[in-house]
Formats: sequence, structure tokens, C-alpha cells
Amino acid sequence: MTSDLARLLNALGLVLVSAVLALALADELWFGDLPCPLCVLQRAAFVAAGFGLALNLVFGPKPSHYAVTILGAAAGAAIAIRQIVLHIVPGTGSYGDPILGLHFYTWSFMIFALMIIGSAVMLLDDRQFARAEPISTRLKSLPLLALTLFTVLTIAVMASTIALCGAGLCPDSPERYLLFQ
Amino acid sequence: MMSLPFLLFACGLGAAWLRQRVVAMGFWVAGMVVMLVLFRIHASSVVNIAL
Repeated sequence: MTSDLARLLNALGLVLVSAVLALALADELWFGDLPCPLCVLQRAAFVAAGFGLALNLVFGPKPSHYAVTILGAAAGAAIAIRQIVLHIVPGTGSYGDPILGLHFYTWSFMIFALMIIGSAVMLLDDRQFARAEPISTRLKSLPLLALTLFTVLTIAVMASTIALCGAGLCPDSPERYLLFQ
Repeated sequence: MMSLPFLLFACGLGAAWLRQRVVAMGFWVAGMVVMLVLFRIHASSVVNIAL
């Protein structure tokens, strides 16, 4: 696998992570499904995991960048498991409406697991780390689009969190934006 | 406080845009630490299940 192909795959991965963040924001803004603290932390973990993909796009693929993705996704999976366990016993309720039969936190855990597996698979090919080709300092269109999208969504989710929680911790079951009260 | 990890990750992305890799990694580490501390704060109760 060449460095360019690895960058292309990382760009596609970053677009998918951006799609997850966009979906979460859309659910919050259009359907009024305000996120709980663990949901907010899972969003942060998606940004943390996507950060490694972004580094691969800007600086070229490196094992340490894949480590960033794996560590971010592992933290996110731990947070998602905590939320799954909170509602795993029948009769203990749930948070939010399910999508395709599963709740957001269950989807979230599966996506984090896929990110860990995907990063491990990418790490199997050492050829992407060999610098035979000259390093281009300019990003091509898809990586540039993916990086721009991810940066904009990170800032948008941050703004949404500030509006929801203000300067402190988020309420367990938020019903309105604290900043606008 | 819950927005702090996002702020740190956004700063890290800004550093990446400016091609400052070490600075970007530093912001990522700081964001991870803050995120895990916040997780610890929110996962303080014991869940009553048998594994």
C-alpha cells in the first residue's frame, strides 16, 4: 500500500467520523434529542479518534497516528460500554430513541470497535510508512475536504456543548440549553 | 468544563493545519486526559449487575 492510498483510506475514515458527528448534531438540533454527559464524552472520543486520521492526512501515515486513533477509540468504547451497562438490565430504561433498533451508545460502541480493528489492519502494511515518494505539503481534494469537514464539525460540537452545559458539568438529563436560560 | 476536551482537540487540529505536529500531539494528550477525568467524574456510581 502506498502512502497516497493510505491517505485516501484515512480521508474516507475521517469523512465517516465526520458523518457520525454530523448525525449526532442533526439529532440534537432538529429532533431536540439533547445529549447526556456520557453522550457528550462519546462525541469527544470520536474527535479524539478522528484526530489520528487527521494527522495521517496532514503529516503522512505514521504508526503513532494510528495509535492516536486506537487510544481515542478505546476510550470511546469504554465510555459507550459504561452507558450500555447502565441500561442493560431490562426495565432500567434507556436514553434517546433507537435508530434501526439500536440506541446511539450501542452504535457508538460498534463504530469505536470498527475503528480499532480498521487501524490495526492498516498497521499491518509497513509499505505506507516507507518514504520512497516525495512528501507533498499540499493536500489533495478529498483529504482537504475531509480535514475541513472534521475541523468544522469539531468546532460545531464544541459550540453545542458550551450552549448545552455552559462552563460547568452537563446535567444528567438535559432538557434545555443552559446558556440560553 | 465539558467543552474543554473539544477546545483542546480543536486547538490540536489548528496546530495540525499549521503543520506543528508536536504541538498538535500535545493538545491531543491534554484533551484525552481531560476527557478521561470527566469520564471518571461521571462514572462514579456502582452499577448493580452481575457479570
